[in-house]
Amino acid sequence: MKYARLFAAFFKASLVADLEYRANFVTRIATDIFWYAAQIITFETLFRHTDRIGSWNLEQTRVFLGLLFVVDAFYMIFFHDNLDRMSDRVRKGEMDLLLAKPVDSQFMLSCQRMATALIGNLLIGLSWLSFSLYNLPGFQPARLLWLIFLIPAGLLCLYSVRFMFCSTAILFTRSENLQYLWFQVYKLGMRPDSIYFPWLKFVILTILPVGIVASVPARAILDPPNFALFAWVVVWSFVLLYLSHRFWQWALTKYSSASS
Amino acid sequence: MCTALIELTLWIAIFASSTSTSIGGFTREYYLAYVLWVAFIGRISSSWMYEFRMIEEVESGSINGLLVRPMSFFEYYLSQLMGYKFVTSIFSLMIPLAVIYWMDLPTDFSKVPIALALVVYYLIMVHCLSFIVSTFAFSLTRVHSFTVAKNLALWLLSGELIPLDLIPEPFKSVLLKLPFCNAVYMPVAYMTGRIPRDVFMQGFLSTTLGILFFGAIGWWLWRRGLTKYVGTGA
Repeated sequence: MKYARLFAAFFKASLVADLEYRANFVTRIATDIFWYAAQIITFETLFRHTDRIGSWNLEQTRVFLGLLFVVDAFYMIFFHDNLDRMSDRVRKGEMDLLLAKPVDSQFMLSCQRMATALIGNLLIGLSWLSFSLYNLPGFQPARLLWLIFLIPAGLLCLYSVRFMFCSTAILFTRSENLQYLWFQVYKLGMRPDSIYFPWLKFVILTILPVGIVASVPARAILDPPNFALFAWVVVWSFVLLYLSHRFWQWALTKYSSASS
Repeated sequence: MCTALIELTLWIAIFASSTSTSIGGFTREYYLAYVLWVAFIGRISSSWMYEFRMIEEVESGSINGLLVRPMSFFEYYLSQLMGYKFVTSIFSLMIPLAVIYWMDLPTDFSKVPIALALVVYYLIMVHCLSFIVSTFAFSLTRVHSFTVAKNLALWLLSGELIPLDLIPEPFKSVLLKLPFCNAVYMPVAYMTGRIPRDVFMQGFLSTTLGILFFGAIGWWLWRRGLTKYVGTGA
């Protein structure tokens, strides 16, 4: 309960701070509109020249993109800004203050600053998802219930792996190149998993679970339910969260203050 | 490398599920060569790090130290950008050259130098755009989003995402007339045999016009920004 109240307080404080920089508020949404447009234009153009990519047609790929936008928007709102500046905070000695607070340091580092401007992105993502589901032949609305489990699971996987990447800042002080590597890995999740070779598909559903972000929720809507896969995704998300916490605890034992 | 891998697998998947052996008049090998080159040329022809630094200089007031130097802010960062790109390009180009040679993909290696010359020339225009964005920092706080928005737009307009010849008319013709296609599409399409020499050479002309146009805007914004700027002695 304490963490829920803190989470709400962080959200409110972030909203107030974001509204102070209105130009930035608007340009952040505009920026992501370019990103959404880029993804949509890519696939819409490709499907003018082919009927299928991997195992999906245009209507199915649109659903995949809708889910990618929604999960990505949640991730960007809650975690991205915090994790993005983690390396800086370690280097500048801002961590000390956080570690001294009577709350879990992983929670503080991950949720203190939220990008509330990106709620606009979430609305865009939801609009695109609704449009794609409306145009999906044979769509079964009951299958949307799977998303109650799969979207949070995908978000947890994404967060946990990114957090582990960011935690390396404590070990290496400057870990910008590792962050760049993360973005390269994340790009793998921006394409339907069916286009990948079997070994790569295995990697993005297990070790680097970026395929869980959008491909698995899309499969829940488009294909008959694969209970084993869904169970794996949910269990794996909690395992990754636990591992990220353990890794953080271990990394903290190597932390030497940069301030004072 | 990861971007190249993703795009390669995407095109392999497209051709695997397609009933035709060619798309838009080109075979699978042409697309594989295209995406391999794009992954590297796209990185060379974009500017993130130096644009962020330029914004930071204006925002923080540390620009004072540059204003008193016998070299303009524009020239100082242009030389830094070119130096950095020269070094990184030499190393990063080894990979596509090696992979294309090994996979025997369509690339006319004799066209590579002039194609790279266009990319280098285009970098001056990229720098003009960075200069424009950095001048926003005179009057706005947190302008980094403009860099992201601009680079994402260029990502679309340059043909980095998708070969521009696949885009339907009239968008294709418009995009090919704009100078932004000289970042990626023009050099890569020329090297891989998608466009003839005369079309490619027009890229130098449109880049020149782009440099003049964006350079003039940047110069005007810079003069305007400096009249408002108050040095804080940082």
